[in-house]
Amino acid sequence: MDLNRQKLLEAYEMMKTIREFEDRVHVEFATGEISGFVHLYAGEEASAAGVCLQLDDRDKIASTHRGHGHCIAKGVEVKGMMAEIYGKQIGTCRGKGGSMHIADLDKGMMGANGIVGGGPPLICGAGLAAKTLGTGGVAVAFVGDGGSNQGTTLESLNLATIWNLPCIFVVENNGYAETTPSKWSVSLSGNAVDRAAGFGMPGVVLDGHDFFAVYETAGEAVDRARNGGGPTLIECKLNRYYGHFEGDTQTYRGPDEVKKVREAKDCLALFSEKVTRDGTISGADLQEIDDRVMQLIEDSVVEAKAAPKPPAADLLTDVYVSY
Amino acid sequence: MTTIGILANPAAARDVRRLIARASSISIAERCAIVQRALTGLGAVGIDRVLMMFDRGGIVSGLERAIEHHRRDVPLRWPELEILEMPVTGEARDTLKAVQLMRRKDAKVIMVLGGDGTHRLVAHECGTIPLVCISTGTNNVFPEFQESTVAGIAAGAVAKGLVDRNEVCRQNKRLGIRVNGQPQIGALIDICITSDNWIGSRAVWRTENLRELYLTFAEPDAIGLSSIGGLLKPVGREAEEGLVIELGPCDTSRQKLEVPIAPGLIEPVGINGVRRLMMEEPGRIRSRSGTVALDGEREIEFAKNDTVEIVLERDGPLTVDVSKVMKKLATKGRLS
Ligand SMILES: Cc1ncc(C[n+]2csc(CCOP(=O)(O)OP(=O)(O)O)c2C)c(N)n1
Ligand SMILES: [Mg+2]
Repeated sequence: MDLNRQKLLEAYEMMKTIREFEDRVHVEFATGEISGFVHLYAGEEASAAGVCLQLDDRDKIASTHRGHGHCIAKGVEVKGMMAEIYGKQIGTCRGKGGSMHIADLDKGMMGANGIVGGGPPLICGAGLAAKTLGTGGVAVAFVGDGGSNQGTTLESLNLATIWNLPCIFVVENNGYAETTPSKWSVSLSGNAVDRAAGFGMPGVVLDGHDFFAVYETAGEAVDRARNGGGPTLIECKLNRYYGHFEGDTQTYRGPDEVKKVREAKDCLALFSEKVTRDGTISGADLQEIDDRVMQLIEDSVVEAKAAPKPPAADLLTDVYVSY
Repeated sequence: MTTIGILANPAAARDVRRLIARASSISIAERCAIVQRALTGLGAVGIDRVLMMFDRGGIVSGLERAIEHHRRDVPLRWPELEILEMPVTGEARDTLKAVQLMRRKDAKVIMVLGGDGTHRLVAHECGTIPLVCISTGTNNVFPEFQESTVAGIAAGAVAKGLVDRNEVCRQNKRLGIRVNGQPQIGALIDICITSDNWIGSRAVWRTENLRELYLTFAEPDAIGLSSIGGLLKPVGREAEEGLVIELGPCDTSRQKLEVPIAPGLIEPVGINGVRRLMMEEPGRIRSRSGTVALDGEREIEFAKNDTVEIVLERDGPLTVDVSKVMKKLATKGRLS
């Protein structure tokens, strides 16, 4: 694995930024200042970071309603995202999208998506474009366990196989779709990965809290896709720290469920422990990153709050793209 | 009452090898069917109780559903299924715990469904309980492909004492390992030192990173790391010795050898030396940092201040030779 010191620090900063972003949105949402729905990605950072660190500017991703982590990992600017969530004019989509519609095509981020299972068809299109134009690009769809059951996802798995597209489907199985356990709702006893064989594509399941496992596996899938090997399905088993949406009372979860997960399966803690063990990276290096990230999040909240909302006159601008 | 344990790994055979090579994958539904066939075999020889651990993969839930269906539709001769009371974490330690409980509950034989890695964990805790080994993938060396109905009959026959276990069981070797003096769970086939810094996706396939290989046995028709030994200097499962191979990148090594390192993947490896590993001969690895792969999975990361010691031992698990059992039963002209 090509993980030098620089890359490890980058991975840590990425995951830490996602965590702090989400923890802060959790706090700010409770004040009532943010309108609409937010779905937080805290706990799942290793998946977004492990996959996106294997991508470059040629590559596209499509995200979900729980999309902040994917955006940050693909390089969308944090301040713009925060402002977008606040519905402000300086936001990534000029404040008209909000949490569930952050998109930044310049960064290869095709959008968070309010439609569960909306991402996979998009990446088939992106994959087909990359293949046709010969860009060498790869397209990745993140989709939840719930999303893995959608017809759109299953059709996309089929399409990607028959057209041998450079597509990667990352199923982030966090155990629930809203309140419904994936054990119950996903066939094959909750193992979306086992569907891959039915479409004739490789399927890999891994511990989605383990950055190193995600990174290495994603690297192989990306290489394979770039070299014309075709699509792959990767299932990351992981956990979300917060409710399905902010405000969810989570009565469907065991009393200590989240506490235990936070103690034993914190991707950031697992990562830090590993990289500092042999001294290549010190606690002080990580602290420096922590401080920088905290400052960035603080600044983005302050700036987002201070920024103006889009005026009524802008109601119909940026709604349709003219080709 | 005669009890058997069944340990079915829900996670085996869906790792990165599907991606880098053409390794097979067995769905949870098929694993569940393998267990059902085994239950039929066990029932036929009169086994009363089967112990299993609950798994988050869904094997046991599938089984319970099947039992429910069968109860309504077809009269069954399956043993009673008892799920072990233990916390399930979805990690390797579940297997260790389950085998401990099977021992405590007097399981006479343990049937293992999984790959080399699963067998390695079971072997660590099973003591002198014989294992019936069923491979659930193509990437294995320790367990063989075995139809589970027949394996169930054989397991039941040994548990019931219908055949003399001394005549049908093999004593396997194992490799013990200590890191900084602390014993770790050993290996049944191979310990490989690689130059990888991280455990990552666990599998070992980048041959340029291989440094040292310790083998309990090596057969020429093997797949995976032990094929290196198998093609250089075969050692039998029952031989009183093992093998040590020094490896390196091909361009700087003395000899280059192409080996089937994973299903569908033939790669060159660089060989710098081969020697016998004597029983109980203590040894320390040469590499100063990297990872230790146990039975083909990277498990331990070590750095310059760590010491890693490896020793070949006789006291591996007892395994049942299914074909021998069936031959004995054939001489009796009946199954039970
Ligand atoms: C097509 C569609 N159906 C239903 C919904 C309502 N909905 C929003 S999120 C969600 C659950 C999604 O679960 P999963 O895919 O597992 O993602 P997670 O929330 O766990 O990240 C549902 C049903 C929707 N947004 N779109
Ligand atoms: Mg989910």
